[in-house]
Amino acid sequence: MKRNRSMIIAFAGPATIFFLATFIYPIFRTLVMSFFSIQEITDPISKWKFNGIGNYVSLLQTPLYVTSWINLFKIFVIGGCITLGVSLLLAVILKSGVHGKGFFQAAIYLPNVISAVAMATMWIQYVFNSSYGFLTTFFRALHLDFLANIQWLDADHKFWALLLSYCFGMIGHFMLIWVSGIERISPDFYEAASIDGAGKVSQFFRITLPLLRGIFRTNIIMWSISVSGFFIWSKLFSPISADTSTVVPMIYMYDKLFGAENTGDVVRDAGSAAAIGVMLCLFIVIVFTIVNKLIKNDDLEF
Amino acid sequence: MKSKKKEQNFVGSYSLRKELSLVPSYLVLVLWVGFTAVILLWVIAASLSTTSDIFTGNVFGFTSGVHIENYARAWTAGNVSVFFMNSLIYSVISCALLILVCAPYSYVLQRFQFPGSKLIKTTLAATTGVPVIMVIIPLYMIVARAGLLRDPIPNRIVLIVLFVATKIPYTTIFLMAYFENISRSYEEAAAIDGCHPIKTFWKIVFPMAQGGLITVTIFNFVNIWNEYFLSLMFVNSDSLRPVALGLFSMINSMQYSGDWSGLFASVIIVFLPTFILYVCLSKYIVGGLTGGVKG
Repeated sequence: MKRNRSMIIAFAGPATIFFLATFIYPIFRTLVMSFFSIQEITDPISKWKFNGIGNYVSLLQTPLYVTSWINLFKIFVIGGCITLGVSLLLAVILKSGVHGKGFFQAAIYLPNVISAVAMATMWIQYVFNSSYGFLTTFFRALHLDFLANIQWLDADHKFWALLLSYCFGMIGHFMLIWVSGIERISPDFYEAASIDGAGKVSQFFRITLPLLRGIFRTNIIMWSISVSGFFIWSKLFSPISADTSTVVPMIYMYDKLFGAENTGDVVRDAGSAAAIGVMLCLFIVIVFTIVNKLIKNDDLEF
Repeated sequence: MKSKKKEQNFVGSYSLRKELSLVPSYLVLVLWVGFTAVILLWVIAASLSTTSDIFTGNVFGFTSGVHIENYARAWTAGNVSVFFMNSLIYSVISCALLILVCAPYSYVLQRFQFPGSKLIKTTLAATTGVPVIMVIIPLYMIVARAGLLRDPIPNRIVLIVLFVATKIPYTTIFLMAYFENISRSYEEAAAIDGCHPIKTFWKIVFPMAQGGLITVTIFNFVNIWNEYFLSLMFVNSDSLRPVALGLFSMINSMQYSGDWSGLFASVIIVFLPTFILYVCLSKYIVGGLTGGVKG
């Protein structure tokens, strides 16, 4: 027992101290900072000015910041429906008894191991290109000129181009998680349903979906976490400055912290940047709470 | 066993009908994978052609031959070698440190009850959902004020420490599921033989968790290799940039240099390590995701 204790201290002690110092302490410090006005991120505490909820109020009165949240919500809701829906469809297809499941699974997951910078470059430079791009060439071959002529990267379509390419990359990951959920459903259910004459579609709605409730909840929460960190894709679609069609809170936060290169309307303020962090955290907490309320724990054992 | 045999007979007699009913499924999968393949093949072709071929839409023609020298140019003149080595240093060292810190940590948290162990576990699980920006602002403040970003070596160490710090909750929680599946009987036997528990862990339990250790290392490696945001904040000089940052700066300078085929060659070079890792070890990724998830 005594020897176990020395091991626990050796294994857990330094790690816990490191975790507290680099994770827990900064979280509280960010929370405190969000109530202060801090012009330069490197200012000593003596130069901080208490500002109450002033940072939050002024942020919410800034149109660009509000736009960034509207964009984030659009990505969360519309992108969430696309990503979770398509990934579930692909998972169900993979589990329907097709040959080469392993290959398809690996190929669909592949975009997840590619750097976002490389992925976005492929989309922007090739798929969305208006002269030799994939979509243009493809629709022109089908003589669907009205689709071929869409300028994907102009101000009107940029957001949708961004959303589409982002979701494409995320689908593989969620698909694998759906597959793992479906794999844990006993085949007896499907066998019994087939004998009773239930078709594939009604089997999906009456067996698969209800039994996947737990995974559904996990996936929504995981989606909210990945969406809250949305940064690099937006940066690649609008590399020079934050623009209203693609700005998200993280982009705005970065400009608050280090100043934007070209716009004078973002005033540097580390306190507000911290407040944005807190709001993003709240977003996840709210999603988590709502999802847990709406989707109750599985009362079915399987 | 019996039901399995029945199922096989059932499938056997309806095989053709079943395959026909799967046609729409195959169609969706083939189109999806085909689209992915077309994008990748286009980038590979573009990396082997010339900038003018790219802009006239002729990348698959190779009218002026195959330009392998694009890769050499990107590697040396485009500085890809620098980004590549930086990312390699950051990912390999961070992954090794993560295993060294998190494997023992996760093991004692899973195996033993001690004061605070429950609180630590809950906190670790909760922090896997905390956006990285919540921890990064104060850390930047401390690091910048201490002047640690002025010299290359401290700057590199800061980056590695940050990569490790931000991945500790995820790695520890992930590994706990694996230690849970390893029977305690080995440790008990070793204890009877008088082996110190620390030695028992490294010699017996640690090797048995190999599958989980490999899986989590792949995830960490891919994440750190492709990492962008932390490096953007903390990297202070061009020579310390990892691949994602390097690629991004290349893209931004494209309007001056105009070397598009070189850019696509760089994209492929940057993509290769994670791709090779993925092809060789994809069973660990699929197994890791499907094994570690709790509904």
